[in-house]
Amino acid sequence: MRGADYIIKKAAFAIATIFVAITLNFILFRLLPGTAVTGLSRVPHATPALRHALEVEFGLDKPMWQQYVIYLENLFKGNWGISFANQQPVWDNLKTDLWNTIPMVLLGTVVAILVGIATGIISAWRRGTKLDQVSTNTAIAFYAFPTQWLALVILILFASYLPSHGMENDFLLNPTPWQHFKDVMSHMLLPSLTIALTLYGEYTLIVRSAMLETLGEDYVLTARAKGLPQRTIVRRYALRNAMLPTTTLIALSLGYIVAGAILVEDVFSWPGIGLAVVDSVAARDYPMLQGAFLVLTISVVFFNFIADLLYFRLDPRIKE
Amino acid sequence: MSQAIQAVETENLSLPPPRKKGNWFWDIIKGSTQAKIGLGVILFFSLLGIFAPWLEPYSVHQQSGAVFCPPSGHHLLGCDDGGIDMLSLLIQGGRISLVVGFCATFVAMVIGGGVGIVAGYFGGGIDTVSMRVTDYFLVIPDVPLMIVLATLFGAKLYIIIFVIGILLWTGTARIIRAEVKSLRERVYVRRATALGSKNSRIIFRHILPQVGPLLIANTVLTIAIAIFDETALSFLGLGDPTAITWGKIIEFAFLRTAVSAGAWWAIVPAGICVALVIMGCYWLGQSIEDALNPRLKVAHLSPRTFRLRPLVGEGKDAL
Amino acid sequence: MRGRGRTISTVAALAAVALVTAACSGGSPQNTSSPSGGQVKKGGTLRLGTASGIDSLNPFVTFQQDSYSSFEYIYPFLVQYDTKSLQFAPDFASSWETSSDGLTWTFHTRPNAKWSDGQPLTAEDAAWTFETIIKYQKGPTANFGQDFAHVSSITTPDPNTLVITYKKPVAVVLSNLQQVPILPEQVWGKYATGDGKGLKTYPNEPPNGQPMVGGGPFVLAKYQKKQIALFQANPSYYGTEPHIDGFGLQFFDNDDAMVSALKTGQLDAIETVPATSVSTLKAGGANVFIGPGLEFHDFIINSNPKKTKNPELLNPQVKMAFEYAIDRNEIVKTAWLGYGQPGTTIVPPGTGTWHDSSIKALPFDLDKANQILDALGYTKGSGGIRVANGHPMSYTVIFPHDEQGSGDRAFTIIQNDFSQIGVKLTQKPMDDSAAFAAITAPGETGYTEFDLAMWDWVPLEDPDFILSVMQCNQFGAWSDSGYCNADYDKMYLDQSAAVDPKQRLQIVYQMQKKIFDDRPYIVLNYQDILDAWTNGWTGFVESNQGLFNPLSKESMVSVHQV
Repeated sequence: MRGADYIIKKAAFAIATIFVAITLNFILFRLLPGTAVTGLSRVPHATPALRHALEVEFGLDKPMWQQYVIYLENLFKGNWGISFANQQPVWDNLKTDLWNTIPMVLLGTVVAILVGIATGIISAWRRGTKLDQVSTNTAIAFYAFPTQWLALVILILFASYLPSHGMENDFLLNPTPWQHFKDVMSHMLLPSLTIALTLYGEYTLIVRSAMLETLGEDYVLTARAKGLPQRTIVRRYALRNAMLPTTTLIALSLGYIVAGAILVEDVFSWPGIGLAVVDSVAARDYPMLQGAFLVLTISVVFFNFIADLLYFRLDPRIKE
Repeated sequence: MSQAIQAVETENLSLPPPRKKGNWFWDIIKGSTQAKIGLGVILFFSLLGIFAPWLEPYSVHQQSGAVFCPPSGHHLLGCDDGGIDMLSLLIQGGRISLVVGFCATFVAMVIGGGVGIVAGYFGGGIDTVSMRVTDYFLVIPDVPLMIVLATLFGAKLYIIIFVIGILLWTGTARIIRAEVKSLRERVYVRRATALGSKNSRIIFRHILPQVGPLLIANTVLTIAIAIFDETALSFLGLGDPTAITWGKIIEFAFLRTAVSAGAWWAIVPAGICVALVIMGCYWLGQSIEDALNPRLKVAHLSPRTFRLRPLVGEGKDAL
Repeated sequence: MRGRGRTISTVAALAAVALVTAACSGGSPQNTSSPSGGQVKKGGTLRLGTASGIDSLNPFVTFQQDSYSSFEYIYPFLVQYDTKSLQFAPDFASSWETSSDGLTWTFHTRPNAKWSDGQPLTAEDAAWTFETIIKYQKGPTANFGQDFAHVSSITTPDPNTLVITYKKPVAVVLSNLQQVPILPEQVWGKYATGDGKGLKTYPNEPPNGQPMVGGGPFVLAKYQKKQIALFQANPSYYGTEPHIDGFGLQFFDNDDAMVSALKTGQLDAIETVPATSVSTLKAGGANVFIGPGLEFHDFIINSNPKKTKNPELLNPQVKMAFEYAIDRNEIVKTAWLGYGQPGTTIVPPGTGTWHDSSIKALPFDLDKANQILDALGYTKGSGGIRVANGHPMSYTVIFPHDEQGSGDRAFTIIQNDFSQIGVKLTQKPMDDSAAFAAITAPGETGYTEFDLAMWDWVPLEDPDFILSVMQCNQFGAWSDSGYCNADYDKMYLDQSAAVDPKQRLQIVYQMQKKIFDDRPYIVLNYQDILDAWTNGWTGFVESNQGLFNPLSKESMVSVHQV
């Protein structure tokens, strides 16, 4: 298939997926029992007059299809809506949430990738040895630990040494940029560590098996028969071929970065998008939910698209 | 044989030629230490779950020690915030965690396998529609979706099983579909079609046995994810509060401030159990996969990534 | 979703125990800042942790306790509570009178008061705020509208006098006005135009590092959603200046992290300590305050007279049997680890004299319960479950997320005991919105589908609010029990117009008795207030709403380092 065709087809597919997701999510949220207004049932100030006023304000008194049309119209104009909970633009809320989540998860993911690739290479190289077994099984173990449990264990172990809650020391008044940076980093260490530990195993296993697969190929056997040293073989063939699935995996993982943090954010009270989703479901804050899911979906679809492109570029077989 | 058929045959090396059923499973187990350990772990916890009522030293519904009592001779793993023996809770929890894992996986396998076979075999419109549906589930982040679904349907055990199953079937569907598609091009299948065999016959006699082992490997790995997802759901407060699972134990401990009370025994053992079962599933599933075809790309069968990979272009199987 | 502390509640005063543990400060919290014996140490920033939170700082948008408490410290209010005596004390109004017919209230506000930006703070600000609320009460200011019911006019004959005239006698004038913050017109004026929508969309947060304009003992200097709210002492405050430089309210997502932070010295004080952490904190050397609170947990029996399903649940005998089968002492002991009191009426003892202490709860007596049900002819069928009206007495209990944690334990106790009287209970957990929708089903005002539920209330200091939720007109609003009784509604209107306190008290007692006898709720327990702080601090003024509350400004003004 021609390159351009491939790209266009994938792009169209991506956009269509997003659109379908928007629609299905819209309906899904409104199926949840109760509304943002029923959630206010137990508050002294929430008089019946207020509740009715809120329903009108939130547009909940209109039929669903009308709400849908209004939502789409606004979306195309770049208006993501107003959060029911704090009356602020959804995009403003999401911006802050994303700004908080991304660095923390990114740090963990980068560490995971580096450690994963390194251990994967080592395991493949020394296949069958004790080192390989220990390395592989450790990777599997960390992979298998429930994320929130791992976060709690880290909390138990390190709570006295490192900050265990929030993103920064809020009582650090007027810090210099350097002080602020150090402060945020010290808060980020434990949650990012959790993310890194949960994720790295995946990379280890994939790099390892991709390399092993290559190392079993005929042309490698030929190369070895011809006397090429192991190191060269690994570098020239195995590593290069292992990069294909690894790169696509990285691209795909980036798409899920944002969603993966919910459990970690909960344990460490990290004010990010994960917590925003949890809170929004409880509050039936449709605009926030729609916005958050949309962001997460776009993120995944976009990175899948990148992964498709990369695969297309890197996989020699498809080109033929 | 014509050049074209030869080319097709050599291309479709994803599975070896048909082999005898039945013995292949035990062959794999016998041949691999990893498989033995994996199966052993799963069996161990399964038996623990089955015989739970007889094995639990204390009742899981009544206080038998002090709040957060530390591990001691009376309570090997200490007590939780209600003074209930942790060891008993773990044994009971294993039972329900595994039940949820197995059942959710069963749901996922039935739906996923079915959709995968039908989509892969019939192709065309059915295929396209199925794949679009799986796309939706793949791009929506699973934890948020689980939260919404669990809130929507409520928090009874069978609903949790259903919710997890809904999330997991798509991965299976994709893999099975890919395999069935390539199987369909095999000579013997083509021959059967040419001879006028009914579709259902072909599916049951030729496709299913071939896909079977792959399905089994996939099943085992899905169990791992199902258990993992259950702990996540419980942690977010969406599990069934009347059902004691490992995930619930962790969640309740956290809710009742076990960490700050220093009661690590209320949290650590439960996570270790979960991890052991998941590792066992992984070892077993991996061994089956390895034995079926050492050259199969492992990427798409490791527990979390098999949800990711199928979206990547697969050459002839590209969407 | 998880037991995250109180969801609502505004102020009310109750018995407060002024905690003074060190020699530093003494006497009543209204003292000036240098008592004769010992110097009070000045300065420092108090770090306070909370597991509830602030959803918005806009008074017209928020419904959270911590928001209301914040407003108490940054805005003038006409009156506040003396948390010890639960009487009304001066705040911005230093004195007030009522006319003999009770319809005209005159408040004398403090002269020469200023907002933190230097603008004069007078009775005209109060008038402007109240009139704006009244003007937009059908829309943006609906959440305070109720507090000005029956107001006929508001005038300011001079800058330091405010006169509010009512159309009919209202018993709860001070209690209502205590809840309304006086807002700076120089900030809010521009939003009170047109349809007033701007009043709700204005975030009311400190702009770019500048403290927000305020009139209380503190101004809000910094706010980061879900992280921190930093308050600084306000030199322009018309009352006693605080000892501290400021305090910070740090938001925690879960109790565990909050307790850990106090233990490791990252916090100085925390409110709403979970029961399971008390011994940990005490062992770590922290001061723990245990006092009567206002929150109570209830077992709800659908009392909608129009209900046709399971009519046996409408039978007062059956309800009595249920109460005999509930072991309140066990619930307090096991689910709440002893921090609380067994419940009786819906007006908690924490409200002081409003609680009718002559009403005694039925004792835990399974035999009595069984006798009653036997006498009704509900014989035990298969599985030991009684049969009533042709069906087994097996019911679902709606269980909102609010009640998670201790509520789960309480439910288990009730479930076990009920099985011994032949009634089967099944717990149905759901999040709060879904729970309320299930209770009001079908639709929003049906109340005919559900049988039983468990939930809680945090009443105000004045019983008017909690009594109001039982009215017929609260279907689809506050009612979670479907209770509807014309006599009760009449009593409610009478007490809300009874300006004579003794007369009102009588009616309030009668209403409590009626609810107790009709049993739409079986009040399980009254939850204690649990707060904690480290040894470096003292001077907190406690209340039945904790040390950081919307009842009075005393606590943060009196607190100081040791």
